[in-house]
Amino acid sequence: MPSRRRTLLKVIILGDSGVGKTSLMNQYVNKKFSNQYKATIGADFLTKEVQFEDRLFTLQIWDTAGQERFQSLGVAFYRGADCCVLVYDVNSMKSFDNLNNWREEFLIQASPSDPENFPFVVLGNKIDVDGGNSRVVSEKKARVWCNSKGNIPYFETSAKEGINVEEAFQCIAKNALKSGEEEEIYLPDTIDVGSSSQQRSTGCEC
Amino acid sequence: MSTSSLSTSSDDELNSNRNPNPNTKPIDDELSLASITLTESNGNGSVNVNDQNACGQVEVDVEGPSSPTSSGYAGERGSSSEGTSNSRIDDDDEIREVINDDGFVDGVRDARAAPWMPGKRHVDEDDASISWRKRKKHFFILSHSGKPIYSRYGDEHKLAGFSATLQAIISFVENGGDRVKLVRAGNHQVVFLVKGPIYLVCISCTEEPYESLRGQLELLYGQMILILTKSVNRCFEKNPKFDMTPLLGGTDVVFSSLVHSFNWNPATFLHAYTCLPLAYATRQAAGAVLQDVADSGVLFALLMCKYKVVSLVGAQKASLHPDDMLLLSNFVMSSESFRTSESFSPICLPRYNPMAFLYAYVHYFDVDTYLMLLTTSSDAFYHLKDCRIRVETVLLKSNVLSEVQRSMLEGGMRVEDLPVDPLPRSYMSHRLSQHRLLTDSPERFRESTVGIGGPAGLWHFIYRSIYLDQYVSSEFSSPISSHQQQKRLYRAYQKLYSSMHDKGIGPHKTQFRRDENYALLCWVTQDFELYATFDPLADKALAIKICNRVCQWVKDVENEIFLQGASPFSW
Repeated sequence: MPSRRRTLLKVIILGDSGVGKTSLMNQYVNKKFSNQYKATIGADFLTKEVQFEDRLFTLQIWDTAGQERFQSLGVAFYRGADCCVLVYDVNSMKSFDNLNNWREEFLIQASPSDPENFPFVVLGNKIDVDGGNSRVVSEKKARVWCNSKGNIPYFETSAKEGINVEEAFQCIAKNALKSGEEEEIYLPDTIDVGSSSQQRSTGCEC
Repeated sequence: MSTSSLSTSSDDELNSNRNPNPNTKPIDDELSLASITLTESNGNGSVNVNDQNACGQVEVDVEGPSSPTSSGYAGERGSSSEGTSNSRIDDDDEIREVINDDGFVDGVRDARAAPWMPGKRHVDEDDASISWRKRKKHFFILSHSGKPIYSRYGDEHKLAGFSATLQAIISFVENGGDRVKLVRAGNHQVVFLVKGPIYLVCISCTEEPYESLRGQLELLYGQMILILTKSVNRCFEKNPKFDMTPLLGGTDVVFSSLVHSFNWNPATFLHAYTCLPLAYATRQAAGAVLQDVADSGVLFALLMCKYKVVSLVGAQKASLHPDDMLLLSNFVMSSESFRTSESFSPICLPRYNPMAFLYAYVHYFDVDTYLMLLTTSSDAFYHLKDCRIRVETVLLKSNVLSEVQRSMLEGGMRVEDLPVDPLPRSYMSHRLSQHRLLTDSPERFRESTVGIGGPAGLWHFIYRSIYLDQYVSSEFSSPISSHQQQKRLYRAYQKLYSSMHDKGIGPHKTQFRRDENYALLCWVTQDFELYATFDPLADKALAIKICNRVCQWVKDVENEIFLQGASPFSW
């Protein structure tokens, strides 16, 4: 256990397969990009230490597989998340349309205590492709959707060029931190010998 | 105490034939666990959940009954039997390169070297470090959302990715309506223990049986409960992302001390406590004054010397589980601050009531001897302080504390002192040994007995009284004098214990096992369990005879080595 107080934040990245979740994560954590597509199987886990307002904290990033066949993993993966990142490809309308499903699926599976205010961040990725000519989802359209879901912060990113990736994750960390702020009060009881103390049947001789 | 005796014609005897066909060979990659692949470049673990291996290799430890000629060791399978224990003189949990850090050089105790250092080591490591991967025994505590709580080695935060991998494995199996208990990967065992929202994992290549490792995880969990109570579960119910680490701040040393005790404290697998040998009257005097304060509203009063009990007393109907005593004394002994002043601390006894706190007043009389008074009242400090003063006065007046010191110096039963001929009881009952020289320092004693051991090649024994929940262990003497040899012997006892208590292949009454290190004899009756170690060349019939004599000896001195029913509430 760390002697100095540090915070660990669990961040889940969701979105259709091929939108660039793993690439975003790799760009953020390792500052690397590969053009080769390699499907994530199940989930990958990365950690990154971040300094924010004089506090040191660790992002535990859960990069999940986009394929539908992995969605049965839901509860296990989503439990206890501090922030959820929804990623779509600005060149694919379907991946944008699916954001709604991902968001709802997450809220069902993770069942956070305050779903209205659970911190999401939306990333529109691959803005570099074809100089933006193959783009089918406009920034305006994306922002309208984000606003309708409780003002979700929105970033347009390119994992390949490293555009806005750092900024997006800064925002993710900030929001995750905010949601982690309300601490649970840990208040244990004291034994009441009169009523409920548990005795051991086969005892020692005390 | 039983008067039964062990005969050579026992039918239950198991042969010690080695399994000639170990079904797995040690693999090179130390931590290639089943389906987990650890990516070398960045150290992130990814769990391959679609691979059917993830299910296929999850082995819920159902072992078929051993063949009559097998060793009967549940944990033996998969280890290459010939030579493992022989060649593993560095049988530490550490990797070889750091052995010298521990101050133990190849099985020979180096008196000048530093002793075991409390607290966590190697904090700079993470799952990408080669040294971290090569550690022989890892312990992890994490939350059900995959947030790390404790790791024996390395920095918890740097291990967040590894922790997430462990959670993913556990949760994946749970999603299928199943539970993962054990994964074997080469010579590694990965043991899982799920306690509500708390997950505990041990990754080990120490060849300890599954039951032992699981028992160690249970104790680790108990230690956590002792510090926090089970109320933490409520925090997780309300908020799954609850981070427990701040609540456990500064307790690293308590956990690492417990993990260390798995190597040397037989109480961790015997689930019994041990007493400091004392004259009956001396222990009676201590018990009387503890009883006195217990009657004034103290729930438990314990006088202990290191991990050994001098005396203990409980309020009416309250009884203390040996595991709770182990965890409590570990907590007190490992926390340096208890030594510096009298203290009052909330603690929870997991076997007594895991849901709620008690309050412990702790005071050290000298460097080893301390008093613990447990109460339910959070404002009892001054009352308990008065109690302590009363206890201290009586203990000083009746010379209990000086007797305790003397007993510490003298040590306990020595195999060399085993009476060769049955002697009249009256002669025996006053002394543990016939010829103990009080002025002898332990060092001088050891020198004088190098290479001797007890009669018929008896090297060591542990006797556990089932009725009393207590055990007595003989002092280590040559040829089992080094730390490594002692640890190896405890591991052998541990195996013996779990094979004798294995419901699948047992229960057994006796077991005789001979390998290149020793001949081990275990004898379990309704009243006691005896674990005895002999020279590997010892004669079996003679060994059995000696075991009978050990039992008689224990019986002869039971008033000195055990805490008898001093309290009127006992039976």
